[in-house]
Amino acid sequence: MGSATGTTDLPSFERIVGDYGPLISRIAMTYEADPNLREDLVQQIMLAVWQALPSFRAEASLKTFVAKIAQNRAISYVAREVRRPPTAEVSETLEADEPNPEETAIYANEREALVAATQRLPLPQRQVIFMVLEGFTYTEIAETLEIAPNALALRLSRAKTALKSAMERSR
Amino acid sequence: MSDIDLDRLGDVWRAQPDPAEIERLRRSAEAVRRRARLGQVADFWLALLVSAVVLVLILSNPTIATGLVGGAAILVMLFSTVRARRLRMLELATLSGSTEHMLEQSIERVRATIRRARLNLLTTPLGLPLGIGLGAALDRGQGSGIYQRLTSEPLIAALVAIVLLVAMVTICTHLIRTRRVARQELEILIRLRQAYEAERTAL
Repeated sequence: MGSATGTTDLPSFERIVGDYGPLISRIAMTYEADPNLREDLVQQIMLAVWQALPSFRAEASLKTFVAKIAQNRAISYVAREVRRPPTAEVSETLEADEPNPEETAIYANEREALVAATQRLPLPQRQVIFMVLEGFTYTEIAETLEIAPNALALRLSRAKTALKSAMERSR
Repeated sequence: MSDIDLDRLGDVWRAQPDPAEIERLRRSAEAVRRRARLGQVADFWLALLVSAVVLVLILSNPTIATGLVGGAAILVMLFSTVRARRLRMLELATLSGSTEHMLEQSIERVRATIRRARLNLLTTPLGLPLGIGLGAALDRGQGSGIYQRLTSEPLIAALVAIVLLVAMVTICTHLIRTRRVARQELEILIRLRQAYEAERTAL
């Protein structure tokens, strides 16, 4: 899953939403804590992906393509949201993202703490942590962020330290 | 070095969303696509409609003046359509590039907005009275009687003056707000760029 077919045919928008809808939703969650505003961000990201789809080239991974556009759209959204404070209550964050029945309370609490901690990270570190949590390879992350592998390693190291202390504060 | 287990946290992070959430995303995507397509179609048909109306007006009154005004209207519409499309393409290009490049482009865009708002704030209070004065002078020269009617009817003249004043105040208020919001956006963008620079220099 995640890579393009290798042909010149563009992937359908339905396929992108089916495969990467949850990823888009999690990106929006990383950058917007308010569930109502998050829905707006999700729609903005989807529109950007739909508009950018003709520029997709099969040599790149579709997942990377979607993640890059979605993250950049989310960052530009953050910059435009100048009318209100950037944080909202964490409990609000998870109202719209209820755990499955099989998820335990501990698991849900941990996810809540993780989301809150990620939202507190400085942007460059948040991008790296988000991509690692999403399961991107280091090569894909370095390509997406357009940084050298050693720079990525250092940024990731700092991001992990920041995430750990942010999670401790969230508990 | 941190001992945080990102593999395990990744499993927590990627917890399978419930089917209702997936369905909501699908509906949202469909609505976005429908609106975007509708926007594209509406743009095309609106441009066609405006062109047709202008052409009919020119043909029904084929003088040099109507030809010039009609031609100018079509040119302005074409220019704004091409400009809007170019801006959209530029924005999409920055979205598929690196974040730092996108931030640079955004900073340039917001600075241009601030410059434009400042220029318009200076020219609007001057330009509007100047335009009215020029119009009045032309009207007197051509003798169409609009200026004379306005000056002979103090009530209508006062009403026109109030409307123009309100329009000017509204435009200026909008420009001041645009500039204020753009300045705040610029501050955020510069802070974000500094965060990336700090990451680079910390290597």
